[in-house]
Amino acid sequence: MAKGESLGEFEHLVLLAILRLREDAYGMRVRREIAERTGRDVTIGAVYATLDRLEAKGLVTSKMGEPTAERGGRAKRSFHLTGEGVEALNRAQENLLSMLDGIAFPVRGGTR
Amino acid sequence: MRPPRAAEALLLALAGDAEADFVAGDLAEDFGLLFAERGPGAARRWYLKQVVRSAPSLIGLRMRSGELTGAVLRATLGVLLPLVALDRLWRFVYSHIPLKDGVDRAPGLLMLNVLIVLLCSRAAMVTDRPHRSVPEIMAALLAAVLAMYAGVGAAPWLYVIAVLLAAQAGTISNLWRRRVR
Repeated sequence: MAKGESLGEFEHLVLLAILRLREDAYGMRVRREIAERTGRDVTIGAVYATLDRLEAKGLVTSKMGEPTAERGGRAKRSFHLTGEGVEALNRAQENLLSMLDGIAFPVRGGTR
Repeated sequence: MRPPRAAEALLLALAGDAEADFVAGDLAEDFGLLFAERGPGAARRWYLKQVVRSAPSLIGLRMRSGELTGAVLRATLGVLLPLVALDRLWRFVYSHIPLKDGVDRAPGLLMLNVLIVLLCSRAAMVTDRPHRSVPEIMAALLAAVLAMYAGVGAAPWLYVIAVLLAAQAGTISNLWRRRVR
C-alpha cells in the first residue's frame, strides 16, 4: 500500500479485529468481533470482500485450516497481519489522534 | 442441525470457487451456535438474511477473481458459436435443397440443431462443482438470447429451452453425485 493511501473505515475495523483475534482470525470470528464491539450488523460477504481487498493490498495474508465437523466438514481460512498491515494500522491511528487533538468530547451542536 | 438447504445452495451458487467453502463453513459454524441459543426458526432466518445480504459482495468478489468472465466465455463458446455455425450450415444446405411451400425448415434438421446445441452446451458446462452451474446457466441464457436477437437459427426459443435443460441436467447430476458420495 502506498504511503499516502489511507484505510477505509471498514478496512480499519477488519484490521483491528484481526489484531485482536490473533491466531483465531477467520471470517466469522472477524464478523462477530466487529458486530459485538460496534453494534453494526455486518454480513459475512462484506467481511470476505474486505479481506480479499486487504490481501490484494498486501496488508494481510491467509492460510488454510483443516475441515472440522462443526463447520459441516468445511475448511477454515485464517488471516494474519503483514508488516505493511501493522504499519497501515499505526499510520491510521496517528492520523486519527492528530485529528482528535484539541477536540473535547462529547461534541455538541451542529446544524439541523 | 443443518443450515437450510435452499439457502446453502444459493450461497454456494453466489460465492466463487475460491470463497464458497470458507464462507459456507463460517456460516455453518455460527448457525450451529444460534440454533442452540435461539432455536431453529431464528437460526434459519439469520442464515437466509446473511446469504441474501452477502450476495452483492460475493458476486463482486467473483467478478474481481475473473470467474464470471470464464463462465460467460464458456457459455459463449458452448452455445453462441455452435448456433451461428449451424445457422450458416443450414442456410447453405437449404439454398441447394428446395423445400415444400409453407415449410420453413425441415423438422428433422431442426431436431438435429437442438440436439447438437444441447450436446455443445452440456460439454461447455461440465463441472465438478454444482455451485458453479448457476452463473453458467445465466450466462448460457444470455448467450442464447443474444443469439436469438442476432436472428440465428430456425426456432430460437427451442435453443433457449435446450440450453436451459442441458444446464439444469448438469446441476442436478452434480448435486446428486455429491449427495450419494
